[in-house]
Amino acid sequence: MSVKFLVVDDSATMRRIVGNSLKNLGYQSFVEAVDGKDALQKLQSDPEINFVITDWNMPVMSGLELTKAIRSSEQFSDMPILMVTTRGVKEDILQALQAKVNNYIIKPFTPQILKEKIEQVLATV
Amino acid sequence: MATNYPQNMSELFGKLNDLKAVFVYGQKIIPVIQSLIDFMKDTVPLLENINRSIEESTHKIPSAKAQLNNISSATELATNEILDIVDEVSNKLSEAEATLEGITAWEQERKNKLEKLKSLVKDETALGLIDELFNNSVSEKLITIKDIIDKVNEYNYQITLSLQVQDITSQQLAAVNHLIESVQYKLTALITDLEDAELKELEKSYNEKEIVFDEKAEYSHEKEEQKIADNLFKVQSSKTTQDEIDKLFSETK
Repeated sequence: MSVKFLVVDDSATMRRIVGNSLKNLGYQSFVEAVDGKDALQKLQSDPEINFVITDWNMPVMSGLELTKAIRSSEQFSDMPILMVTTRGVKEDILQALQAKVNNYIIKPFTPQILKEKIEQVLATV
Repeated sequence: MATNYPQNMSELFGKLNDLKAVFVYGQKIIPVIQSLIDFMKDTVPLLENINRSIEESTHKIPSAKAQLNNISSATELATNEILDIVDEVSNKLSEAEATLEGITAWEQERKNKLEKLKSLVKDETALGLIDELFNNSVSEKLITIKDIIDKVNEYNYQITLSLQVQDITSQQLAAVNHLIESVQYKLTALITDLEDAELKELEKSYNEKEIVFDEKAEYSHEKEEQKIADNLFKVQSSKTTQDEIDKLFSETK
């Protein structure tokens, strides 16, 4: 399965780090978005995107709101979503779980964790 | 009237005694009032000082906030510059790797030609020279260089991952900034003679400010929280009920 990622983060540094990590893992194809709203526009305009990696804390539209928007849309409701965030409080994790993100990584991440989670999500879709 | 005289006098003396008691009490209380006045005299400049300090601090807050924002921007800029260099190093390593692959292929070709030559030559001295050339190979050195390139690539990637600290510290700075803003709001309310409506407006704008940071963000590789997240998602993928998730939560609390 060819995977095209959408990396959503308001931090340019984090977008580069996630992008470099994806390249390092052998995934060459990805696009970037600066917040949830931008991500929704990218999803609409690029039908090849089939995996979303999103931060939680973002201006305009958060990662959690983005997840809810994706899950409630007819077109993208099955989109695999991996949340990569600093939020490690149990209540937050539960909120993400209830919003139906496919998996959850707490920053700072290691390449092993990223690889493991991507593979776990891909195995379930 | 004459018959009431002793009673009236007695009442008068009674009143005079009451009045005397008031004066006696007054004499006792005057030093207390005096010390209260002295205390007030001492306190007023102190209060004025406090008020001035609060006013000064309130005026300094915007520059403190700007400084924190500058730190955040400068760190992001520097981090991106480091990432540029890391990318450049990565590109150069890729070039070196490609060159090395070329040299390795050339070396293999050289060995193949020497093998071929060996089968054609019968002269012992020439065969000895060919063997010498064959054994004088750079293959092992090329493998060592390849290992070094792989290691530098790995270190380079580790640098990239460590730069996640910038995102985490910028969230911590944003949290401090938000805290400073809340102090500024409280202080402004203290020193400014604002109408109720104005104060409410100030409070509203402060409360409505979008929070896009995690105040608990921390840079640590020892993440107990990741294990909790992993457990929760494992439980979810095995179609566990909400009650079971709640139970897991109460156990990990």
